[in-house]
Amino acid sequence: MSYEYIKFGQEEKDFIEKIQEISGQNIYSCYQCGKCSAGCAFSNKMDKTVNQLIHFIQMGQKEKVLKANTHWICASCLTCTIRCPREIDVAALMEAVREYILREEPEKMKIADIPKDVLNKLPNIALVGSFRKKTG
Amino acid sequence: MVQYSYFPGCNLKTNAKGFEETAIAVSKKLNSELVEIPNWNCCGTVHTMTTDNLMKRIAPVRVLARSKNHLEDLKDTSNHVVTLCSMCNSTLKIVNEEVKENPDDLETINFQLEEDNETYSIDMEVKHFLEVLRDSIGFEQIRSNVVKPLEGLKVSPYYGCMLLHPEKAKIDDIEMPTVLEDLMESLGAEAIFSPLFKYCCGSYHIVDQEDIVAGQVEKIVEAARVRGANALAVACPLCAYNIDQQQKVIDEKTGRKDSLPVFYFSQLMALAFGESLEINHFEDHEIDPRILLEELKLL
Repeated sequence: MSYEYIKFGQEEKDFIEKIQEISGQNIYSCYQCGKCSAGCAFSNKMDKTVNQLIHFIQMGQKEKVLKANTHWICASCLTCTIRCPREIDVAALMEAVREYILREEPEKMKIADIPKDVLNKLPNIALVGSFRKKTG
Repeated sequence: MVQYSYFPGCNLKTNAKGFEETAIAVSKKLNSELVEIPNWNCCGTVHTMTTDNLMKRIAPVRVLARSKNHLEDLKDTSNHVVTLCSMCNSTLKIVNEEVKENPDDLETINFQLEEDNETYSIDMEVKHFLEVLRDSIGFEQIRSNVVKPLEGLKVSPYYGCMLLHPEKAKIDDIEMPTVLEDLMESLGAEAIFSPLFKYCCGSYHIVDQEDIVAGQVEKIVEAARVRGANALAVACPLCAYNIDQQQKVIDEKTGRKDSLPVFYFSQLMALAFGESLEINHFEDHEIDPRILLEELKLL
């Protein structure tokens, strides 16, 4: 078994603080039961499961959090939120990670790149929803 | 005739015209007319889950304020704003609860609204049309209006996420809802339970990650089909679009021909109530429900 040594300094603490501030959640409430990932409809598409991402946030591992695709795959269906035994709004944590990124780089999705026929065909709620989640 | 202040939301005017027109028609028949708010705006579709962004909460609060003003034009009304789209329902309900809990936030939002001489004072209650059907009208009255029972229709109710999540916005029991089942049975159709009744369809990922939606839709439809369903009933224009359109894509790829038509619950009500066929706008569906309805002699 190999161990990975992680840094836990001011930068890490600031990251945790910011995610808690945006989401309004106490990240340390999570005791890693994994229910969020077990019930998530998209776990198979995520490179890190939801509880793994939360663990990274607890440890302040900003780079690993930002590199994961978990928060971009999350579609905010809120199944994790309603089932969390610790009553954490898990989806709000995913939203906080998205917001953390979008407040620095506001274009996860480039609206100008969407073909016009796709824009014309898609329902308004898909477009508005996606723009609100993927642009800052 | 009871009148309700009705908030359509953007999709009911574009992709989901059949949803709106059938709901308004059946509401009149049930003496509970849905009257559109004259100057509504988009509610924002997805509710922001951040604690510090009030900007994204202004639009839904403005809807609530305008709905309140709209009540003056209505007869025999209550302080309800009624929605059809489940995403609007969820967004409006959550924000209504949030401003109740945080009066300071409401004050800041009202400061913005006052520029248009509007204010909101937490006096509206958001209801989904399904709640009105269940709690104010009742399934007995619905049953008594049925002229053409939907015999042979084995319909699997698909709730999607936003009718039941989160706690603040739920219209029924979160894990074991029955409102759509009860409604289908009161129309003479058979309700088929599917364990994926609220398994997320992929929602707005349809814009740039279509493969995610395709995978979800395949599972949702298959779960209903293996249990014997021949149709799905939904209440969300995005679920409807995703499931309907993605089935077409899957059909074209694989050559399957057993796709399930997707109905809005109000379309099934309109059919059972004997309303005219045109208001269903079945021409907007990718999987044409008329084929199944003809087979079952329901047209």
